[in-house]
Parts: sequence; C-alpha cells; structure tokens
Amino acid sequence: MQNLVLLAWLFSGLFFIISLGGLSQHESSRRGNLFGLLGMALAIAAAILTIFGSNSGTGATEALDPNSLTATSSDGLNLGTAVVLLGALVVGGLIGTLLAVRVEMTAMPELVAILHSFVGLAAVLVGVSHYLGHPPTATETGTGAMHLGETVVGVFIGGVTFTGSVIAWGKLSGRVSSKPLLIKGRHYVNLGILLACLVFAAGFLVTKSTAIGVCWLAVITLLSFVLGAHLVMAIGGADMPVVVSMLNSYSGWAAAATGFMLKIDLLIVTGALVGSSGAILSFIMCRAMNRSFWSVILGGFGGEVAAVTSGGPPRKHDTTSSLETARWLLESSEVIIVPGYGMAVAQAQHPVWEICKILQQRNVKARFAIHPVAGRLPGHMNVLLAEAHVPYDLVLEMDEINEDFPHTGVVLIIGANDIVNPGAQDDPTSPIYGMPVLEAWKAEHVVVLKRSMATGYSGVDNPLFYLENTSMLFGDAKSSIDRVLQELKSLAGVSR
Amino acid sequence: MIIAIPQECQQGECRVAATPLSLSKLLKLGYQVHVESNAGQYSSLTNQSYSQAGAVVEVDADQLWRTADVVLKLQPPTLMEIERMKTGALVISFLWPASNIPLMEAAAGRGVSLLAMDRIPRISRAQKMDALSSMANIAGYRAVIEAAGAFGSFFTGQITAAGKVPPAKVLVIGAGVAGLSAIGAARGLGAIVRAFDTRPTVKDQVKSMGAEFLEVQLEESGEGVGGYAKEMSPQYIRAEMELFAQQAREVDIIITTALIPGKPAPKLITVEMVRSMKAGSVIVDLAAEQGGNCELTRAGEKYRTDNQVDIIGFVDFPSRLPTQASNLYGNNIANLLSDMTPAADGNLVIDLNDQVIRQALVVHEGRVHWPPPPLENPIPKPTESPIQVGGRLKSPDGSLEKTWRSPWLWLGLGFVGALLLIGVVLEAPPGFVQRLTVFSLACLVGYQLIWSVTPALHTPLMSVTNAISGIILIGGILQMSGAWYQPAVLLSAVAVLIATINVVGGFLVTHRMLQMFRK
Repeated sequence: MQNLVLLAWLFSGLFFIISLGGLSQHESSRRGNLFGLLGMALAIAAAILTIFGSNSGTGATEALDPNSLTATSSDGLNLGTAVVLLGALVVGGLIGTLLAVRVEMTAMPELVAILHSFVGLAAVLVGVSHYLGHPPTATETGTGAMHLGETVVGVFIGGVTFTGSVIAWGKLSGRVSSKPLLIKGRHYVNLGILLACLVFAAGFLVTKSTAIGVCWLAVITLLSFVLGAHLVMAIGGADMPVVVSMLNSYSGWAAAATGFMLKIDLLIVTGALVGSSGAILSFIMCRAMNRSFWSVILGGFGGEVAAVTSGGPPRKHDTTSSLETARWLLESSEVIIVPGYGMAVAQAQHPVWEICKILQQRNVKARFAIHPVAGRLPGHMNVLLAEAHVPYDLVLEMDEINEDFPHTGVVLIIGANDIVNPGAQDDPTSPIYGMPVLEAWKAEHVVVLKRSMATGYSGVDNPLFYLENTSMLFGDAKSSIDRVLQELKSLAGVSR
Repeated sequence: MIIAIPQECQQGECRVAATPLSLSKLLKLGYQVHVESNAGQYSSLTNQSYSQAGAVVEVDADQLWRTADVVLKLQPPTLMEIERMKTGALVISFLWPASNIPLMEAAAGRGVSLLAMDRIPRISRAQKMDALSSMANIAGYRAVIEAAGAFGSFFTGQITAAGKVPPAKVLVIGAGVAGLSAIGAARGLGAIVRAFDTRPTVKDQVKSMGAEFLEVQLEESGEGVGGYAKEMSPQYIRAEMELFAQQAREVDIIITTALIPGKPAPKLITVEMVRSMKAGSVIVDLAAEQGGNCELTRAGEKYRTDNQVDIIGFVDFPSRLPTQASNLYGNNIANLLSDMTPAADGNLVIDLNDQVIRQALVVHEGRVHWPPPPLENPIPKPTESPIQVGGRLKSPDGSLEKTWRSPWLWLGLGFVGALLLIGVVLEAPPGFVQRLTVFSLACLVGYQLIWSVTPALHTPLMSVTNAISGIILIGGILQMSGAWYQPAVLLSAVAVLIATINVVGGFLVTHRMLQMFRK
C-alpha cells in the first residue's frame, strides 16, 4: 500500500516535469498543462488513499515513513474529518473555477499574485498544523530539533510569500499605491526582523512545551508576515514582474520546505521545480532591466531618480493626428507595434489587431515586438495579444526583431516608455543606462500613443519623444487606437 | 521637364547614370527622358533597350545638353559641359566639392545648380539614395575579384588527389560598406577572412559576415560623427600597427578600405610590412585615390614589388563592374528624384528645408552653398555595446558590483556554507541527506527545464507552476487524521481549501490562456 502511494507520487513528479517541459513550445503547451493536471489528480488521489489506509490505527505520515519521529494520538480518519476534507476540496475547487473563468486577461498579474499568496498561507497552516499534530516529546534531542527547524523554515517562507503576494496583488490591482514605500533605514528594519526570527526560532527549537512552542511559532509567523509586506511595499510598480516571479519562486521553496518537514519527496521535487522556475524568471526580468536582483528586491527604484531628471528646459516634441498615423501606416511596407503596460490598462489589444488585419490585407507587413519586461508579468503582452487572436508567429521577442527596425516604415508604440528609451544605450547618466531596449528610433516614423508627456514608471525622461522622426499621439490608448482604426477603415475603403 | 543622360566623357568611365530599369521609374514620375546615343555601351546597355523603356535616344550631344532641365551623370560635369546648359538647369552627379571649387563657381556664374551625390548625408531616411554606399559595396566586391585575379592560388582550401591546398588568408582593414562587402566576397570564395576596424560596434557585423574580428588590447572607440571612423590616439595607432605587422607576415591578401572623412587616407601598411609579406601576396588598396593605406600604393596602377607582392591601387573599382554599378547608381538617383518630385507630375521641387537636399545641393540659384551647415547627428549612435565590456557587466555605479564580484567574498561564503552544511548533516535525522539529494536534483532539473521555455509562454508557465505548487495540499490532507474538531485538522482543512483554489484556478486559467495562443 505504502509503496503504491509512493509510486503514484513518483509519477506525479514525472508528470510535473513533463508538464513544464511541454511549455517550451506553443505546440506542446496544452498537452503540458494536461500532464500537470493529471499529475495533480494522481497525487491527491494517492494522498486521500493514504489517510484511508491509515484508518487501521496508525497515523498517516507514519505509514509512509518508517523513521517517523513521533507517535501520534491520531485514531485514523473518521467520518467527520472525511466530510471536512471533501468540503474543503469542493469549496476550494469551486472558488478556483470561478476565479479562473472570470478573470480578465489584463488582470492576470493580480490573479497570479493572489494565487501565490494562497500557497504561502497554506504552507504556514500546514506547518502549524503539523506542529500541533506532532508536538515534540521530551525524550528527543538532535533529530527533533532538525525537524522543528524544517517546520520553522517552511512557516517563515510561507509567511513572507503570503503577505508579500497580498501586497503585490494590491499594487497590481491598484488597491495599494504602486509607488514604493521607502521607510528610512528599511534595510535595518528587514535585518532586525530576520534576526528576531532567528532568535525566536532558537527558542522554538529548545522548548519542550507545546504551548510555548506554539507561541514562538505564532510570533515567527507574524514577523514573517510583516517582513513580506514590508519587502514588497518598498518596490515600485515597474518592478512588479520581478516581484511576481520572485514570489512564484518563494511559493515553490515554501512547498519544498514543507516537503522536508513532512518527509514527502513529491513536495520537495515540485517545490524545487517551481522555486527554480520563479528564480530563473526573476533573473530574466532583472537582466532585461539591466539591474541586479538585489537592487530590485531591496526596492526603492523610481521615487529617487524622478527629481534628478525633471530639470532642464522643456524640449520640443511633434504631435500627429490619427488620420496622419493611418496614412503613414498604409504607406509603409513594414510596421512594428510595440505594446506596453498602457495597452493592457486600456484594453486596446483588440482594435490593435483589427488595425493589423487591415494592414495585412493591404500587404503591409505588421508585427509585434515584445520587450521581456513589458507589462506587469513575464509574458503578459503575449497573453493579451493571444486573447485578441493575434497569431503567435507575428509576435516577436526583442532579440528577434531589433535588427528589423531600420527598415521599418512605422513603429507604433502603445503605452510603452522605458523599453524604447534610447537613453539606455547612449546616455551613461540615465538611470536605466545599459538596459536592453527595443531600438524603435531607427525606424522611419515612430508614433507614440501616450496620455501625456509624463515620464514612465522608472521616472526617466525619454529622449525618443523629442526625435525628429517621432510624433506623439496623445490620448487614452484605446480611444486613440479606435480613431486610427476608423481612419484606416475609411482610407482603405476609399482607395479600394 | 526633361531629364538628360549624357555619355560619360572621362576616359575609363564605363558607368552610366541611368539604366532602362531606373529610367522607367523616372518616366513614372512624369519626366521625359533623353539618353545620349551609346551612353550605356560600356555597361552593356544598348540604345534599343533605352528606347524600349521609353526614352528618347539623342544622337546630338549638344542638343541633349541644351534642352535638359536635369542632367544625370556620374563624374562631375566639365566646364565645357556646364557652358552648354541652360540657366536654371540642375546637374546630379558625384562632385567632390572640396576639390572642385572652380567648377562650382563656374556653375554658379552660369546659374546652373549642382547636386552632389557624394554629399547625401548618411541618415537612415537617405539610405536608399546613398550612392557612396552602393559604390563602396561594388568596390569591396571588385577588390576581392582583382586580388583573386592576381593571386596565384586557390582562395578555398582543397584536398585533391595531387595534394592538400591550404585556404588563402585575407585581411580586410576597415569594415565599412566596402570592407564588409569584401569580407562577404572573400568568404564566398572560401578564404579565411580576418577583419580589423577601430569601431568596436562593427564587430558583430564582421562576425555575421563570417570573418574573425581582430582587436588591439586597448579600449578606445573609433566611432566618429555619422557612423564614420575618426582618428585614433598615438598609443592606439602603435598597437594597431604592431597587429598589422604581425598579420602581414601571415596573410596572403590584404584589402585596405580605411578612410577618415576630410583627411588623407591613414598609412597603415608600411614599406617594412610589404617586405615581410610572402612572395605572391596581393595588396588591394581601396583608398588609393586619397593617398592610399599602403605606403607603396601607386594610385591607378597595379604593379609588382621587388619581393613579388602585387599592389593594386586602382581608383575606378566601381567602374570595373559597370553594369552593376550603373544599375545601383541609377536606382539611387531615381529614389532621390522620387523624393524631390512629391506630386509625381514631372516637376522638380527643391526644398531647402529638407536636410538631404540642403546638404547635397552645393550650387543653387547662382550661389555656392558649400560647405553646408554641419549636420547634427539626429540618431544617437550607441557609443559602445553597453551590456558587455570585456566580459563584465558595466553599470553607472560599479562599487557595489565590485564587492559582489570579489572572488574572496564568494570563497568565504562558500567556506562558511560548507561548514554549516557539514554541521547540519552531522546532526540531521537519517532520511535528511537523501531528501537533500532529491531536492538538489530537482532544482537542477527545474533549471534545465525552465530555460527551454519560450518567453512568450512565461505567463502560462507562472500559472502552471502556481497550480503545481498547490501540491502543498497533499501536506494538508496527510495532516487530516483524527477527529475533525482538532485544531490541527481544522487548520489543515483550511490549508487544503486554499491550496485547492490554487490548483484548480491555476490549471483552468492556464488552459484558458493556452487556448488563446494560436498560429
């Protein structure tokens, strides 16, 4: 029985690996998702089987682990517990379904963030519950401490993930100001909390009393909550892609720590997979912004530099009309569209695709250029464009398309700013100097759709707007795009 | 308006300023086109082909010049030719204004306008009319052909029944348009090509053409205004010369294309270097007209030195590929005229606010406009590759980064980490190391897996990992043994509930997203 369960979990782990492997290509991605689902179903079924199997008197974890630390007072699964478990699964499943079906694609970052927080909270709860279910006994020393240590680590990471994700969710959905909150000496605050946690953890490890132990664990949990919230509060809106992927990573590590605590390899494997996935995503995002991981995580970008660049006389920029933009689009042979967060906010992806379709009919080659940190989530723009039914082979990465800008007639920049800032390449004083950017300025015409001349999230002025070949089209991205679409339709209709 | 294409009168000039192909574009712009009889004979373009394209073939050269509103040429017009023209007419040709001041004054006196194709600025908008680049491209190609003609062996390496043939080694100095074209042609013939340029930005272009990029161990960018090279510091030049001296002993063919605008060509290949070259080697000097990059170059000549090195210093490389050159030049001019004829009604509009026209129109309405106001650099060029300099990340404030990069810091951290790990493992319960093994292997698997995920699927990746990190609910389920009212069981139930949200929500939303991605 026990071996059967372990075998099932082995396959779950393999399926998860196949699932992630499937995401390497569009063609196999759906199959990948299916494998993930399969693995999860198998794992849950096996787990339920385990507690039924342990009905005969031994506790669940004991059934799996011959080196089990403690004897429990458990008397196996009874009916009430079974009902509670089933209820939890059904209710959770329903809520999950509702969330998944209802969510707007533009709100994906928020959803991902809040889901991370659930993992974090679950890790905390499982840790605490495990401690309550298996309190240390007086006879144990070293090995017991080790086990308690694993519990603390799991709870701590879970706590940080939980509140961090909640704050990230708040920032992404606009419920919390996306400006970084910069308390003086915030690094010392963080360090202090960390040290305090260590001290309480030491207390937790040595105490023999369950009551005192629970107190210490509760304090550590609270401190980790504070730390998580404070860490993410200090990070500005533009750095959210990094934060979200970092929290993704944390949620994985929390699961892995829980796996150590419960001695379940499947949790360790899955946690490690998720943890490294998030870590790599954070790394990719950081590289795309040319910033070190630490400078992002410790926060404070954006607020400080805004004052520096706001000086100097105002420079001249050209404006254009939607009619002129439409003409330019029709006259060129190649068009590249650079979407940014502004497009997501304005929900302009559908009319943008309409424009592309008209251009394609008129034999204008229209493509999309995606910067790795466009939007608030890695790959956010790709999802939005996919929602608008843009074929994914028209959507290109920065490295694939950057060399095509020089022979492009019109570049349409929709609600993006820093990712097309030429200052990143030629102005060593610019705060974003060295960040890889889309070289939109090399095209014949650049049309920037923007609300106003305000700076981007990084607070950096963009020299692109003042170039001779750049024209600004002010207004809400959605309405601007709609107007361009109208003009395009009438122009295309007239000359047909 | 009438556009005239006369026969080039300069000795050895084989090109012609319009081909039947480019001529048809001019006709579309609404112009009448007159071509002098036999204008294209050296470019293998017959009178018949011109008249078939819609041009009037004019036998009387005098008549042609007198009636023309616009004359298209390659070489600068002669004083005699300008005398024949009517007031207000325009000549478009190469002009080299710096060395043709008397000619420009004469034209101004006659009221003839001159537009210099060699003064078209190098801005992206004007690329399609950049005749210098077109000609440089041809010159680079032809230079390799000339070298191959003079070189006594294969370019490509071969292993034949009669024995092994090593591939020729070609050094290209200056990776501008001509240099890159030469690299491409030499690679096409199978040679091993090395290239040198003072501008580090061209490194990638050189590599993309399949050549090795030679560098000197000194960091200095040779990028001047408008993508041209500038003069370098003495230390740099010394290092550079050492490199050339060393290369000269090794390579079979040297093609030099180094030019600095407004200055005589830099002397890069010295007499000693030529002496050190193997017998039978070839030097092709594309800068011969500006004095040559090699000290022994004789402009316009091909000769053999005492140690059997051929030095080719022709000044008319484009003209040695006349059909192709006429074709590209004709297209350049057609593009220029298309910009200058916005209504396509056969009426030339001269817009002095147009940067291109302002730069290139050196004589207009009886006045010499040369030298024009300096061209401001509208497109800021990246001065150097900002991401990687010498393999190190460069950032405005390097102090913190430096600390992070110190090997001692990492060594120390590693040592402490190892000690901690050993301590932990000694104290740990039996299964711990085994789980650590599983954990480490899983991390490695994850690392490999995730790098292969296409960036476009990063959001689905996050939601899937999100869903599977809900695996923590297994932990919750396993805690649920015992009576339901125990706090441990209740807490676990909550954990299971929220983790289920995660699992179901994550997989469903991923499915939704993936449904949307399609080709």
